[in-house]
Amino acid sequence: MKKRLPVLLILVLLFVIAPVGAQENTLTVLCTPQEDWCVAMTQAFEAETGIATSYVRMSSGESLARLRATADNPEFSVWWGGPADAFIAATEEGLLDQYFSPNAEVIPDQQKDPDGYWTGVYVGALGFCSNVEILDELGIDPPTSWQDLLDPALQGNVAMAHPATSGTAFTAFWTNVTLAADALEREAMEADGMSEEEIEEAMAAGEYTGAGYDEEGFPTEDAIDRAFEYFAQLHQNILQYTRSGSAPGRMAGAGEIAVAIIFSHDCVKLQVEGFEDILVTTFPEEGTGYEIGGMGIIAGGPEPEAARIWYDWALTPEAQAIGATVNSLQLPTNPDTPVPELSVNLEEVNLVNYNFVAAGMNRTAMAERFDQEIAPQPTE
Amino acid sequence: MTAISPRRYVDQFRRIFQDPILAISLIVVTVFLLLAVVLPILAMIGESTSPEGRPLFAHYLGTSTYQTIISNTVVMGLVVATVGTALGFLFAYVQVKVKAPFKRFMHIVALIPIISPPFAVATATIVLFGRNGLISKGIFGVRYNIYGLHGLTLVLALSYFTVVYLNLKGMMQALDPALEEAATNLGASKWRIFRTVTVPMLIPGLLSSFLLLFVESIADLGNPLVMGGNYEVLSTRIYISVIGLYDTTAAAVFSVILLVPSLTVFIVQRYWIGRMSVVSVTGKPTGTPQLITNRWVRWPLFGLTMFITLLIILIYATIFIGAFTRVVGVNNDFTLDHFDFVINGYGSAAMTDTTTLAAVATPLAGLLGMLLAFLVVRKEFLGRSALDFAGMLGIAVPGTILGIGFLLVFNNPIQLTLPFGGAEPLTITLIPKLTGGRAILGGALAIVIVYIVRSVPAALRAGVAALTQIDPAIEEASISLGADNARTFRKITLPLIRPAFLSGLIYAFARSMTSLSAIVFLTTPQTKIMTHQILNEVENGRFGNAFAYCVILILIVLVAISILYLTVGSTTGAERTLEGGA
Amino acid sequence: MAGNGNARRDSTGDLRLENLSKIFPEREGQGEVRAVNDVSLTISAGEFVTLLGPSGCGKTTTLRLIAGFELPTSGRILLDGKDISMQPPNKRDMSLVFQSYALFPHMTVFDNIAYGLRTAGMPRAQVQAKVNEALAQMDLEGLGERRPNELSGGQQQRVALARSLVMEPRVLLFDEPLSNLDAKLRVQMRSEIRRLQRRLNITSVYVTHDQIEAMAMSDRIVVMNAGRIEQIGTPQEVYRYPQSRFVADFIGRANFIETRVEAVDGEQVTATVLGRTVHVPMEPLPKVNDPLVAVLRPESLYITDDTAGYPAVIEQTMYLGAETEYIVQAEGQALTVIESGLSALRLFDEGQTVGLSFEDEAIHFLPQTESVAV
Repeated sequence: MKKRLPVLLILVLLFVIAPVGAQENTLTVLCTPQEDWCVAMTQAFEAETGIATSYVRMSSGESLARLRATADNPEFSVWWGGPADAFIAATEEGLLDQYFSPNAEVIPDQQKDPDGYWTGVYVGALGFCSNVEILDELGIDPPTSWQDLLDPALQGNVAMAHPATSGTAFTAFWTNVTLAADALEREAMEADGMSEEEIEEAMAAGEYTGAGYDEEGFPTEDAIDRAFEYFAQLHQNILQYTRSGSAPGRMAGAGEIAVAIIFSHDCVKLQVEGFEDILVTTFPEEGTGYEIGGMGIIAGGPEPEAARIWYDWALTPEAQAIGATVNSLQLPTNPDTPVPELSVNLEEVNLVNYNFVAAGMNRTAMAERFDQEIAPQPTE
Repeated sequence: MTAISPRRYVDQFRRIFQDPILAISLIVVTVFLLLAVVLPILAMIGESTSPEGRPLFAHYLGTSTYQTIISNTVVMGLVVATVGTALGFLFAYVQVKVKAPFKRFMHIVALIPIISPPFAVATATIVLFGRNGLISKGIFGVRYNIYGLHGLTLVLALSYFTVVYLNLKGMMQALDPALEEAATNLGASKWRIFRTVTVPMLIPGLLSSFLLLFVESIADLGNPLVMGGNYEVLSTRIYISVIGLYDTTAAAVFSVILLVPSLTVFIVQRYWIGRMSVVSVTGKPTGTPQLITNRWVRWPLFGLTMFITLLIILIYATIFIGAFTRVVGVNNDFTLDHFDFVINGYGSAAMTDTTTLAAVATPLAGLLGMLLAFLVVRKEFLGRSALDFAGMLGIAVPGTILGIGFLLVFNNPIQLTLPFGGAEPLTITLIPKLTGGRAILGGALAIVIVYIVRSVPAALRAGVAALTQIDPAIEEASISLGADNARTFRKITLPLIRPAFLSGLIYAFARSMTSLSAIVFLTTPQTKIMTHQILNEVENGRFGNAFAYCVILILIVLVAISILYLTVGSTTGAERTLEGGA
Repeated sequence: MAGNGNARRDSTGDLRLENLSKIFPEREGQGEVRAVNDVSLTISAGEFVTLLGPSGCGKTTTLRLIAGFELPTSGRILLDGKDISMQPPNKRDMSLVFQSYALFPHMTVFDNIAYGLRTAGMPRAQVQAKVNEALAQMDLEGLGERRPNELSGGQQQRVALARSLVMEPRVLLFDEPLSNLDAKLRVQMRSEIRRLQRRLNITSVYVTHDQIEAMAMSDRIVVMNAGRIEQIGTPQEVYRYPQSRFVADFIGRANFIETRVEAVDGEQVTATVLGRTVHVPMEPLPKVNDPLVAVLRPESLYITDDTAGYPAVIEQTMYLGAETEYIVQAEGQALTVIESGLSALRLFDEGQTVGLSFEDEAIHFLPQTESVAV
């Protein structure tokens, strides 16, 4: 044993050290969408460019926390996917580098950062993903409004992710902040004696009273408090806050819960992958939030060159078409990319006026408040 | 008298330093434990008592929400410890004292949970007994809510009862049957013997099992994450604080709150229960234990044990079948996709990384454990019991706490700057960055160290137990024949404690392969760990992939155990000849 | 290092202990223990010296100090004039034979004996030759491939001995090596050890609590008590002229009869013992009227008919075959008398009044200074 052991040790050590030694021509991607999409993207990129590409999948809240923690010495070079609010928050904290990709010119203005810190790679709307069998048993219809989710029949039958870790969940949260702000404005305007039409006009023009939105168009504290009230109520029906945004969809598919609050494209993906008769996608009629899946170059990342190559490539129609091959049916941002047949048509959905900048700026504080006020509360 | 003491310590060290290799190994072991165990824990405590941390204590301890979480944690620990100890006792009692069929079978089944990853049981339990469970819904038509304390209790008790079972079984077998025979002679009934002889003799074993389970369950992270529902416990709070908010201060505060019960239990166990050894282990039982044959006792006990045995089988069968099924219960088509994902797909990196790191950590942990045992049992020096204590901390401290400690200490290189008058100050990197991005060896070193730290305690205890059985004269004979301490350790001590070494190695490998809580914060893009990936798959509801991972992980552990048996365990007869030859 | 040739043996192996003390620190409520107290001893090359004493007298600790398993609290150990007090045990050219034999259970007999030689880096062929020679010498031929647990106690003892002897150390140390053997084997082994030691002429330090063993084997005996040396001398010296009541009592059996110095004449002391005035040399000479203790070995006393000798009453008669032991009452105390040979043929009855007598030369005087309680 005296002779065998050291040799074994050295061999094993070499085995570990060897792959780490080579750092040339590599790329490390922080990837937020679903795992199989991450795989398809990195494999395609590696095949196209010859750059050895590895990735870690993290939910967007996790990603943000990780980037913040490792800001001095980032381990990733590019961050791909996940709601833009997280990218805006990262920009605010100086975690991203500016880059004006030539390929970004074709992307619509509202789907990219004017200062070039992030560019949208896909768009998708939030929805409810329900298990029809369970709903049948509970004797209720698929929810079509946020209020429907508060039905006591749904107690312990709803799941969403934790806004601290998940961009999906944060989108759901901010959607409700926006709805609360809108409602406060309407209530204030009604109190001022304005007519329905006048109210609609003012709202569209962004001429606010200050009840729901401040001068900069950011939701007020009251709006935020009202959203927290909603989630405190919803908390009674929540079975579990997952870490990853799309996870509740699987739980609904498996019949563990009735309704999952997830992005509609994640629900469609599940339907395509074997749950077509079980899951149904609905949208809240009050209005739903949506995400612009962002992409940014990480400030001080180890492989800036490769990061830019990825950035340019990810905006091409070819790269954007990869999602559909793994049933990730988000809408591509590059207008030249063919839209997948099964994708949710955003035209048919009532979208809230989602203020990504406000969401991004508030993201960290809100996530923390949610973690302190809502998540740890006991339920009946 | 007091004047003698300092000189005595000087003498002891003079003695150790006579042998450079002994001195170096003592220094290496001490430095390793200081850096890898003590420093991270101190850093974590330091962070929690920082100006930002102190108000958090007041906040967490003073708010009812957090009080609930703390009491949840303690309640869960107590309930799991009670149920788990009862389960272990039941299995051991039936195995040793009751005349029942299928004992061997029940024994083997009871061992399975040791080598399986933490949430294998939880995931399978959801599939079987969840809202849409194959059994709860499929057979009984109930949408049973398994999430919460009762589900956690079931899963944690089944995951951890094995060690209790093995402990109590060993103790019951060592109980001198003469004692019970004496009681029978005095006219006591079986029930009375059980109550007044058997149970009291086992109290230290029961207590220490209870405490062990308590610590294991409050430290567990994977199961509460997967099936805690809204039953929040401290470990999940720590996890969200780090993963979601990267608030290491809050995490440190939660960790200290969690550390208090864990360490208390550890110290009670070590200094109190360790001393009340009631059990008379004679080593030579005088007589054959009388088995219980009364059918009113025998068959209910057998039935209950068999029921749990079958439950365990059912759970592991679910894991196995689930690995080959598209979506259990929803789409029961046979598929190899999950294995394709783990073996050929992007899961393969985690498989090879984890196995490699565990393979590196295993011999190191085994050797370190034996070396520590050797130093602790055979050598006298100042701080010997402190060294023993530090060696055991790796298991006494919840894994999440160790992980956070590592982040706090090793996320930046530890450097020493030497100012030279006017010239450029010289900066020497004492310890490179071990965790996070661009860590040395892609963070693999930190993970290996954590694996070692977590595995050493078991090896250490096994080594100490084995060494105390061996006449020190055998080692002195070697030294007297001209061998130094190193050669003596290699040629005499290690071969003699080979069974302990082997069990240390097996434990180290199994523990490393299945550990989650300590490394969950330490994985990096370069180093992927299976348990972490399983957690991802489970969390995302891709149970098939998780099951495939579990099956492969169990296979790897089994193969590794076989290899260890073949290379290390080849019987030289040393273990059997100990009594006869010495 | 060990393993050098025989040539050196005649001139080296000279062991000296100078004012050696060992204090064990207090532990678990017990105070510190002065296990070895100011022990000085010179052992010449080739000499066989036995440390003899009751358990706890410090003999084993002294041996372990010599071996290097304990470090002295004070004092020095010199081997051939060189101070080795601080040398680690493996560097000392000595080999210890353990009470428990301490054979390596996981090695064959051959490997056990070869262990030290291999450690010293001796070439394979030479090891082979040496071990085979040792096996032959110790009557262990054909057992080389056995494991220790397949041997009898006596064979295990031989292996332990061979393992040490094969190292050809300058000093051989024995820690009660025969105490685990049965009585017959013990007698056989002790003469074997002595024979080997004589032939190889290795300085030997032997620890035992068995006075017969000590008498049978030793060139000199060191009697120890409570950490101190009571007496050093040849077996005859310590038996015939014990320097203390302890030694007299521990080695063999003794009757102590109190008396007083009546006259001092030249080197001789005059005193009355059992009614007879005796003149016995004594050193140092006491003064007239000092209290004395006369040591009389049981076998030095004779029992005669009541007319002659000092009157005594037989209290108990024990017929032991080769000898007969009597307890008699005389001068108000119980004395032990052993009759052997022809005189044992005649048995005296219990209760019979008899006369006690002895040869003047059998008397040995001790000054009555130490406490009576032994």
